[in-house]
Amino acid sequence: MTIWGMVMDLKRCIGCNACSVACMQENTTPRGIRWTETVSEEIGVYPNATRSYVPLICNHCEDPPCERVCPTKATFITEDGIVLVDDEKCIGCGACITACPYKNRYKLKPQPFKAGLYSKGELTPFEDQGYRRFVLGTTVKCTFCHNRVEQGLDPACVVTCPAKARIFGDLDDPNSEPRKLIQARKGYQPRAELNTKPKVFYVD
Amino acid sequence: MVQAAVQNSVKPGKWINSTCKMCLHSCSIRVHVTDDGVVNKVEGNPTNPSNESGICPKGNSAIMRLYDPQRIKTPLKRTNPKKGPGIDPGWKAISWEEAMDIVCTELKKTLDEDPRKLLPAINDFHKLYLWAWPAAFGGNANYFSVVGTLCGGGYHPMNGFIHSSFAAANDTNYCNYWINNGGCDGFSSHLHVAGAARHMANARVDRGMHLVTVEPRLSSSAAKSDEWIPIRPATDRHFALGLCHVLVNEKLCDYDFLKNDTNAVYLVGPDGYFVRSKEGNEPYVWDSVDNMAKTWNDETIKDYALEGSYEVEGVTCKPAFQLFKDTVDSCTPEEMEKITTVPASTTRRIAREFAKAASIGSTVTIDGRTLPLRPAAYNYYRGAQGHKTGSMSNHTYKLVNFLIGGIDTPGGHVGCTLDDAKIDNSHVFEGEGGMILPTPHQLGVAPPFAYPPNTAHLMDYFPIGVNPGHLIAETFFNPEKWGYDFTPDTMLIAHSNPLWNMNGPQDKYFEMVRQMRFVVAIDILLNESTEWADVVLPAHDNFERWNMTMIEPPLTEGQCLTQPVIEPLYDSRSEEDIFNEISERLGILDIWNEIQNQVNQFAGDPELELKPGIKYGEREIAERKAKLWDGKSLEYYMEHGHTSTMRRPDKWYRPWEGKRLHFYIEMIVAERDKLRKNMEEAKVPFIDEWEWEDYQPLPTAVLDPVHLEPEEFDLLAISFKDVQLNFGENLSIPWISDIVYNDPVHMGVLINPKTAADRSIEDGDLVTITSSYGSIKGLAKVTEGIHVDAIAVSNALTRWTGYHAIVKAGGGNFNRLLPANLKNTDANSGQMECTAKVKVKLFRKKPVDRNEAERMLRLHAFSK
Repeated sequence: MTIWGMVMDLKRCIGCNACSVACMQENTTPRGIRWTETVSEEIGVYPNATRSYVPLICNHCEDPPCERVCPTKATFITEDGIVLVDDEKCIGCGACITACPYKNRYKLKPQPFKAGLYSKGELTPFEDQGYRRFVLGTTVKCTFCHNRVEQGLDPACVVTCPAKARIFGDLDDPNSEPRKLIQARKGYQPRAELNTKPKVFYVD
Repeated sequence: MVQAAVQNSVKPGKWINSTCKMCLHSCSIRVHVTDDGVVNKVEGNPTNPSNESGICPKGNSAIMRLYDPQRIKTPLKRTNPKKGPGIDPGWKAISWEEAMDIVCTELKKTLDEDPRKLLPAINDFHKLYLWAWPAAFGGNANYFSVVGTLCGGGYHPMNGFIHSSFAAANDTNYCNYWINNGGCDGFSSHLHVAGAARHMANARVDRGMHLVTVEPRLSSSAAKSDEWIPIRPATDRHFALGLCHVLVNEKLCDYDFLKNDTNAVYLVGPDGYFVRSKEGNEPYVWDSVDNMAKTWNDETIKDYALEGSYEVEGVTCKPAFQLFKDTVDSCTPEEMEKITTVPASTTRRIAREFAKAASIGSTVTIDGRTLPLRPAAYNYYRGAQGHKTGSMSNHTYKLVNFLIGGIDTPGGHVGCTLDDAKIDNSHVFEGEGGMILPTPHQLGVAPPFAYPPNTAHLMDYFPIGVNPGHLIAETFFNPEKWGYDFTPDTMLIAHSNPLWNMNGPQDKYFEMVRQMRFVVAIDILLNESTEWADVVLPAHDNFERWNMTMIEPPLTEGQCLTQPVIEPLYDSRSEEDIFNEISERLGILDIWNEIQNQVNQFAGDPELELKPGIKYGEREIAERKAKLWDGKSLEYYMEHGHTSTMRRPDKWYRPWEGKRLHFYIEMIVAERDKLRKNMEEAKVPFIDEWEWEDYQPLPTAVLDPVHLEPEEFDLLAISFKDVQLNFGENLSIPWISDIVYNDPVHMGVLINPKTAADRSIEDGDLVTITSSYGSIKGLAKVTEGIHVDAIAVSNALTRWTGYHAIVKAGGGNFNRLLPANLKNTDANSGQMECTAKVKVKLFRKKPVDRNEAERMLRLHAFSK
């Protein structure tokens, strides 16, 4: 049974945020909403200072609080482990946004759709063809690019990463790239103690 | 139920292979266009072994450049004669007929009066042949820009001297110990970032390559390195000299390489020239076994002396290596520490680690050819090379690689060509005296010496340099001093932003543009410079045009096609069409075609040559470049996008096998003397002001004059970019602007906590940064990631155009902190100083919020 997961290779990541832009490009997310991004933090004191780059994304948890709290069962998990939102069922109550400990869920508000990416009150042809998928007032999040995955393609962020820092694959297959990486480089989950069973792992 | 196919890349449509143009370089991409004709996804093309499926954030944002609502849609004419930042030009849309009538009338006037009166700024890197258009305009050799000089003034000629190439890169294939100094190859910038980052990550993570970054700022390269060595700005050459001291004095050098593959053994006389035989004019070496001088090609040589002092035919001389040793002997790590602040123990350790990793003596066999394996390499770029001592700085970094035998060899520092044009073209030619031909003119032949000068920026005085466009700041308002018999009065700006890039007195550059009789701009978006134009002509976006290019790829060779993925959105034209029509109407089309034949290497091939009287469009040029490479048709490229393959080992590694490299650059001495003779004969009045000390065949340890600025300026300011930025011009794209302005390194002027505290400055305070030459403002961003003696200003903070909805104004352009004079320009290479000596003072305590901060920055963008 295929269970999709991802590994973030922190040794490779250079914090360029190509992933962020690729996702915005792929999904035509409105301005202000990023389903994935890479954050950076300074560590240490000069001259022994360094900086970390950490890619963040919805962890497509196996036991996600978002699914538990959803009153209409709009949030659901596919057979292959992808956590999605059915925007025909979503009533925009926001409980899932509060429940998500990773803050990876977002409410669609009217203003960015009205203003457009260029804040000019008009939409580019790109936005016009892309915004149609969205239902105002519902919650949106990373979908592990399930449209692409259905066709055997990797998610957009994985494909674009110049440093090949994102590795996507079947966590149920011990020979998959992510599984081998988790094994070889001691992969760990973000905030594992919260017991949401994230399917995104990190290796140092 | 969730709808099917909501994601852009899998909607019904087609994929078209093309080339990315979101920076200077040419990663291969595939572009998705829906059945409704909307461009809705860009990805890397997996078939290019450089970037494969990856592209950087800039490349990912290209669609928003294409669909920028503020793209220039029609030719525009200015109705407001007043010009200045933030002044509404009063654009009126006009027809191409009217626009071209105006443009051609004005340009014809200039051409007829004196073609030298035109100031061009033509800077589309993907179409380098367009840069030569002014030569068709009556032989105009002006250059109103410093694109290419800020980062590459000293860099390109030195690559020409050492590798006979345009650029250089560490060999990712085999390197095990990589030093990045003042340049972040493989992380954020310089050559083909998406490809370089991929191969850099592979080397670091899969092969365990060790990485050391030497630079004032904690860049992404420094953050990912095994070791960050903070260094005081503008002292990198001294750090490298310290490394050389250790390598030479602890005998950690590749003596076989130095003796057999370089001119380090050639004997140099007191006049700086090689001591040569009377018959044949061949340079001498000293046979250390037979104890006598012999010509370099003497078959009886038993061994070469690298050190010592000798008498040859009455002339006291030393091997070039000894001259270098004389300099580095006093560059002890302890002495260098005083200048650089890099601890002496660090310098010694790095030198020893470097030499050990170099594995001197080891070999590797590639394609049946046994080559020296030297998996240690010193890479450097803009920050380390952008100084008054540009030539010497670049030369020093090369010499670190020379000493361990790592030039153009597996694992080492390798010359990277710009565009080979033909697959079997060699870029190395035979010179005299057993050496390779030094080729400093990597961007074309320099104009001949002339007095009075024929160029507005004194390029007639830089026979081996790169256009010092900024020197117009010296000459324009002071023509008598320089002997000028013409005054520029026309400007043509194509794909450039000179008012933003030129270093020096910004108000003077503004005044220059105001004094122009006519300014025409060709671009896709208005910017700080083109806002000042009288007529603007819209060009095609990258998704609407044809091109064929190879631009200094470090990993691959081959041509990359750009093809239109949609019909032009607006009433734009290709740059080729624009220049062709102007040329035809000015009566210079035939000359322009001839020049294109030369620069594109079409000349002599009847199938490729541009014939007189015909206007060749961008598609036809692309088709010819395709054929020239290896005979493939344009249709092949339209299907595959490119012919990029990994660099061929026979051309990448030691293409000069059997010839000697220029450890010592005699040509610099010869060109200096030729220039001086020319200036004496012509009685050039500024001959004594000329910086003759800049022409050094080997580097010295002299301090860059920036360090000698008045003591009240107690910090050194640098500018930088990061991977999201291309000159900062792509800040007009919301996707880019948003990720940039959420990154702390781009949210304010970077200052060390101790440095800030000493000046009662806190994070978020508005500060003034002042040099002898100008002043800017910024919000302080206190960070541990910057040297105590430095402050750093991101390119993201340097823009000011008020008309664009997305571009944020910073507190002034960093470049106006820099001088634009001879004293701070390398007379040898044209390189200007890129570090500013400044003082930083609190201007106003922390503004209430981001909006107020931005308002204050806009307010002070032009204050003195």
